[in-house]
Amino acid sequence: MLKVDRVWVRRGSRFALENISLSLPPGKTLAIVGESGAGKSTLIATILGLLKPRKGDVTWADHSVRACGPALVMQEPRAAFNPALSLRRSVMEPIVARNEVVPHERIRRLSDSLELSLDILDRCPGEISIGQAQRLAILRALMTAPPLVLLDEPLSALDAATQKRTARLISDLQREERFAAMVVTHDLGYAVAHADEIAVIKSGRIEEVFTPQTFAMEPKSAYCRSLRDAAIALGALEEPV
Amino acid sequence: MITSLIGLILRAAVVLAGTALITFTLLWNAPGDPAQAIAMARFDALLTQDIINQVREEAGLDAGFWTAFITWVGPLLTLDFGQSSVTGRDVWPDLLTAIGYVTPLAVGGLAIGLALSFSLAIVATRRPGGLLDRFAIAVASLGTAIPAYWLGLLLILLFAVHLAWLPAMGARTPSHIILPALTLGLGVAASLTRIIRSGILEARDQPFLSAIRRRGVSPKDISRDHIAPHAAIPVVTVFGLELAFLLEGVVMVEVIFGRPGLGTFLVNAIEARDFPQVQAVVVLTALIFVTVNLIIDVIYRIIDPRIGGRNA
Amino acid sequence: MNLSVSGLSATRSGRTILHPTSLDIAQCEYIALVGASGSGKSTLGHVLIDNLRSRGLRVAHVPQCPEEALDPLRSMRFHWHETERALGFDPGSTDKKTLFTALKIQDGDLQKRPWAWSRGMQQRFVIAMALISAPDLIVLDEPTSALDPIIAAATMDLLGQYRKGHDTAMILITHDLGLAARHASTLIVMHNGRIVEKASTVEVLKHPQTDAAKSLVAHRIWAAMPC
Repeated sequence: MLKVDRVWVRRGSRFALENISLSLPPGKTLAIVGESGAGKSTLIATILGLLKPRKGDVTWADHSVRACGPALVMQEPRAAFNPALSLRRSVMEPIVARNEVVPHERIRRLSDSLELSLDILDRCPGEISIGQAQRLAILRALMTAPPLVLLDEPLSALDAATQKRTARLISDLQREERFAAMVVTHDLGYAVAHADEIAVIKSGRIEEVFTPQTFAMEPKSAYCRSLRDAAIALGALEEPV
Repeated sequence: MITSLIGLILRAAVVLAGTALITFTLLWNAPGDPAQAIAMARFDALLTQDIINQVREEAGLDAGFWTAFITWVGPLLTLDFGQSSVTGRDVWPDLLTAIGYVTPLAVGGLAIGLALSFSLAIVATRRPGGLLDRFAIAVASLGTAIPAYWLGLLLILLFAVHLAWLPAMGARTPSHIILPALTLGLGVAASLTRIIRSGILEARDQPFLSAIRRRGVSPKDISRDHIAPHAAIPVVTVFGLELAFLLEGVVMVEVIFGRPGLGTFLVNAIEARDFPQVQAVVVLTALIFVTVNLIIDVIYRIIDPRIGGRNA
Repeated sequence: MNLSVSGLSATRSGRTILHPTSLDIAQCEYIALVGASGSGKSTLGHVLIDNLRSRGLRVAHVPQCPEEALDPLRSMRFHWHETERALGFDPGSTDKKTLFTALKIQDGDLQKRPWAWSRGMQQRFVIAMALISAPDLIVLDEPTSALDPIIAAATMDLLGQYRKGHDTAMILITHDLGLAARHASTLIVMHNGRIVEKASTVEVLKHPQTDAAKSLVAHRIWAAMPC
């Protein structure tokens, strides 16, 4: 279980995160929703141990998060692969780096679940679509069976139809693999459709925490209401009937 | 803007102080006894140890390193370079004569270099990858590969020996400056052309240009108002480095063409271990270099205030 | 004014990215050009603008993000005056106050360069430039994808309000059928460099004809808001 306990993080002269507390049990999805500059990326960096909080701790099962071997999927799928290497080499890197045996069986199962043909491993990053690249990045992240997966805007480089397909594949995989997923997104539609819990952050603070069900009812803060109305106006959410 | 300007000036001051210290350390630790060298140059006779010691004392060479450094750096702050330890004459008048020879050469070389490189780059980028472009790249690469002393000799051979159009050696008439300035300018042009060319090509790739074109702005206005400022940034950067190249090239070219000037002044001073003269040249060069780079940094911030800014 | 173009096409490095295409746009029509990435919708937008401009029609273009519209080395005032000159006005002669007030950027400092403004304000400034000459057609290329949702929604709303008082047709280029269906009355579906379907929004949502349209409709919405 991921526990973020009253965390304060400084960036430059101000606090980028103020008193953030979150928890995420295995097998569940927590969506962090907020606008750019709200502190979403700082939160990910803090959970991964790349930034030290001034106050508070981040733990996984009472140990450091690093110890559990978390995985990270980032926004730009193409930037996740070295353009000069074959995809096979890029994908195998985490295994090779740990001197482990290549889990062929697992790779085959993951690629089936992600609807990827293993032939594409012999191509170069420039030769596959962005949607395929992102699914391959997810495959690489899951290869070592991490208990915790952090996804930083995993869908925003994809087009609307591909977003929905990829989101469904991630959710299906999560059901099989039981990893805890933390998804940072600005898309409320995605959060409502796929998360078990939604935390809205604004200027480094948690504004409100919802389940998708309670979100349909009037959010308490004006900010969350305007976020919801914007998602409706942009066609990301249907208006409640 | 004001704070960043103060920061820049402070930085320049640190660079100058560092230069002074390094120069002095090098001279102090140079092989051979400076006092002996001075005495030899000055009296050109059989030397007794007494005479050498006397010279050592006069030049302040008998004190420790830091004491000597402090006594040395004090007058430098007011640009007082003292007297030559060899001839005993003031450094300034001789130095001014040398500068008088060097300035037209450096300015001329720079002007030729800038004119050549800008026209070559602009012609080349009309059609990137075209014949003219490839020609320009080839010329520029060739220019970078040919050392100044060889280019100088080639020019002498062609224009002075075979065609007999221009004088080669010395500095008696204004036409004496043409060949050395050309040698210097061709070297400058070679390296600048490539930078200007790639600067223009990169500026043309800026993502906002097609939108500005679709707003109906004419290609001429786009080149002047949007491409030129973006292309200027790398060019201005390299210009500072180019100046170092120019100062170095000037010394070389003067020697090739037998021109009096900074090169002769410096070479003679080093051979004679004339501390004050060498220092004067080094300090002056450093001062010019730091000032030009300071101006470049300011120009940068005018073109693009994000550079060096807090939100860069 | 009804606009009609025909024979638009485009190739890039020998490959056809837009097959010959004709298009009629009615006065005040709000069209959305939808399709997956790589379907040729942005290309169609570009050649359409270039074609109409060359025929002397007033067409304005709002690119995807402010970085594609504004030169970071030039002040906002410079951009404004440049656009005025390009449209044939004397610099400073157009009524920018009304536009700026309508788009809620009247407090922006025009001496500043784009990056000193927020992205949302930059994008609305670009829209204001597009509206200077009351154009016959505005082409919006993914106008919301680079913006945070609240600002994006406000921007779409402002554009909708502007349309009410003017005879301006609009083309919204987007990969997101959800967004398109909220705003446009006509949908044009693109696939592999061709227009494969054109019908009213209601019609396409109810009875998509082609596979491309069916896929878009099937993935239109994340989820109905749970109740």
